[in-house]
Amino acid sequence: MGKHKAIRLLMVATVLFIQITFLTRIVREHYETNAFIVIAALLVIISIVFGYKYLDLHHEDYAYEKISIVIWVPIGALICYLLNVNGGLGSILSMGIVGTIASFLPLLNKKSNYLKQIPASIYCGAFVGMSSVETSPSIGFVLAAGTLAGLYFMISKNLFLGVGGKLGTMAFAGVITATLIYWIVI
Amino acid sequence: MNNFILIITGILGATLTHFVSEQLKQGAIKASALLSLLVGLFFYCFPELLDAYLTKHIQIVFVGTSFIGMVSSKTLKSYPLLAIAGTLFTIIYISKNHVFDGYGGALGALAFIALLTTMGFAFVVSNSAKIKHKVSLLIRKIFNRNK
Repeated sequence: MGKHKAIRLLMVATVLFIQITFLTRIVREHYETNAFIVIAALLVIISIVFGYKYLDLHHEDYAYEKISIVIWVPIGALICYLLNVNGGLGSILSMGIVGTIASFLPLLNKKSNYLKQIPASIYCGAFVGMSSVETSPSIGFVLAAGTLAGLYFMISKNLFLGVGGKLGTMAFAGVITATLIYWIVI
Repeated sequence: MNNFILIITGILGATLTHFVSEQLKQGAIKASALLSLLVGLFFYCFPELLDAYLTKHIQIVFVGTSFIGMVSSKTLKSYPLLAIAGTLFTIIYISKNHVFDGYGGALGALAFIALLTTMGFAFVVSNSAKIKHKVSLLIRKIFNRNK
């Protein structure tokens, strides 16, 4: 198996694992009290696996996002976190402010191809910055989670094309991985 | 009643974002971020307009479903399917209690789950004849092998 194919497989498996873990945690909350939710969650998991197998979600070519673009993920995370926690604006408003400003950045120079690509990175980072203080206790943690989210964002350039929630999933993967590393180290 | 309002919010979040993104050609990020900012600002300015539960959760559901609306029209262009995905997101969100609360990106991950489930289900429905045919072939194969 080629290196690129292995990386792609690992990325898709990671996302699938995260989604199934998410749903399994919800099932665990209800399995003693609400059988309907358990059955519904199982149906959702089957549909997701079916979707992965049959839907055309990925580009055939292997490609990775440039580091000069990915670097904006931790920056977006840091700005959003500062507005959210230190500024006291709350996660939704902070994410909205960072995302809206990022979306207007290409207007600074309409010919710049680089400026057109950075709003997605910043918006992905903003999702990381939406974390609460309990989950992300320090700026160092946010930067680490943002960097990991950036890594996932870089690998997934040609994966899950045009699917809503992709950026959030990359951010979530970054936060979960950082939490796991933090839990192991501390 | 609260759940019904949240489901309507979910449907609006997904369809409105997709409309602004694709019909008004503002792009997915601007559509999602700008609408989320407007909803966030509204509840920041009027925090006591609705009860505390709705004030908190309407924003979250709208933002979460706006991620669903970011889907490109090449991948999904059906508004009814977007509405179904928005509804599914809201149902999962209401059911999730406090699972992964405070984790950045959790809403995006949930939006991804809702959208992928809807797309997978739509695929099954639209290809039900082919799938039935494949399943019957498989059953026949197994049956013949046993003979």
